[in-house]
Amino acid sequence: MKRTSPSVSSAERHGTLPQSFENQVLDLLPRLRRFAIGLAGSRPDGDDLCQMTIERALARREQWQEGTRLDSWMYRIMRNIFIDEARATSRRRETFVDPDAGQSVGGDGAQEAAVELSLVDRAMARLPEEQREAVLLVMVEGWSYKEAAEIVGCPVGTLNSRLVRGRDALMAMLEDAECA
Amino acid sequence: MRVTEELLAAYADGELDAAGQAEVEAAIAADPELGGKIKAHRALKATLAGHYAPIAQEAVPPGLAALLATPAQESGAGAGEVVSLAAARQKRGLPAAFRRWAPLAGPALAASLILAIVQPWQGGTPEGYAGGDLAAALDTQLAATQADQTGTRILLSFARENGDLCRAWRSTDSGGIACRDDTGWKIERQIALGKAQGTEFRQAGSETDLLAAAQDMAAGEALDAVGERAARARGWKQP
Repeated sequence: MKRTSPSVSSAERHGTLPQSFENQVLDLLPRLRRFAIGLAGSRPDGDDLCQMTIERALARREQWQEGTRLDSWMYRIMRNIFIDEARATSRRRETFVDPDAGQSVGGDGAQEAAVELSLVDRAMARLPEEQREAVLLVMVEGWSYKEAAEIVGCPVGTLNSRLVRGRDALMAMLEDAECA
Repeated sequence: MRVTEELLAAYADGELDAAGQAEVEAAIAADPELGGKIKAHRALKATLAGHYAPIAQEAVPPGLAALLATPAQESGAGAGEVVSLAAARQKRGLPAAFRRWAPLAGPALAASLILAIVQPWQGGTPEGYAGGDLAAALDTQLAATQADQTGTRILLSFARENGDLCRAWRSTDSGGIACRDDTGWKIERQIALGKAQGTEFRQAGSETDLLAAAQDMAAGEALDAVGERAARARGWKQP
C-alpha cells in the first residue's frame, strides 16, 4: 500500500496547479460519457459529444470558478452542445440514433438481456430531447431536481413535469414492447 | 388535497420535505393506486440506472483521455511530474479487475491518498462500529444512484466470504470499508484521504486502493443497482 508520489509533495509546494483542471475532468469522464451516450443514443455519437464537451470546457476553463462544482458545469456544457446540435439538424434522429445501438450493450450477457437493453435504448431515442435529458439527469445520473434544473437552465417545476412526461412515455413504450 | 403526478414523482425521488412526504403518504394510504405509481416510478429508475451503469465501467476511449493530457513544457516546474503521472495512468489504464469494479464506484476513481490510520470513531456507538452520519449513509445510500455529493459517498457494495454485506465509502478526507453484522456497521478498513477535492491536485490511487481492498475481501462481484436495492430492502442482512 505504498503509494507516496513525489508529485504530491511538489504539487503542494507549488500551490496552484494548471493541470488540476484536466485531471479533474479526466476523473469525471466515465460519468460524462454515460450521460453523453444516453443523450446521443449510441456510443459513437456519445463519444463525439464527449469530445466536443471536453474541447469547449478546455476553451472556456477560465469561466469555471474554482470552488464551484466542476461536474455540474461540465454536464451543463454537454447538455447545451447536445441541444444545439439537435436543433441544428432536422435529421437528428437518423444521425444520432443507431437502431442497433443497444445490441452490443449487454456484452456477454444473455440474449434476453440484450433485447431488453435495446428496448430501453429505442424507447429513450423516441423521447423528445428535453424529456430525455430530464430522465437521464435524475434517474440515471442521480442529480436532485434542483441540480438538474440548474444544469438544464429551467425552473424546478418545469424539470419535474418534463421528467414525469418522459417517464410516462417510457413506461408506455416499454409496456407496449412487452406485449408485442 | 389533489396529488399530482409531479408531486408523486418528487415523492418517489425523495425530493419532498417532511411535510410534503406526510401529505403524499396520507394520500397513498387513502388510495392504494398511488402506491403502485410510486413503485412503477422506482422500478423504471432502477431499470434505467442498471441499463446505463455499464457505460461508466468501460475504459474511457484513449482519444478522449488524450484531449486532457497537457504537454509538460507548457507548464511550470513541478507540473511535469503531475502530467506524466496522469499520462501514465492513461497509458496503463486500470487493471482489468478494477474496470469491473470502477463502475460501481461511480465518479470518484481518483483522489489523493495519504495512508494513515484514523482515530477510532467517537461517539455513542460501540468501538469499531460506524455511527451517526456514516451509519446513516451506509444504511440508506445506494452507490448506483447517488449524486456526486459532498459528505459521505458509497463507492460500492459487496458480499464477503461469510456472507456479510460490506460497503466501501469515502468522504472528503477519509474512506473505508464497513461490514454489516448484528451489532451494526463494523469498520473493517479505514484510510485517510488527502486534500478535499476542489482546488488541489488529486492523485489517482486512493480509491483504487480502497477498491482493491474491497475486491480482496469480496466473495464475488460487487452488487449491481438492483442487488444493492434488494440488500437495502433486507436491512443489509444476508439473503
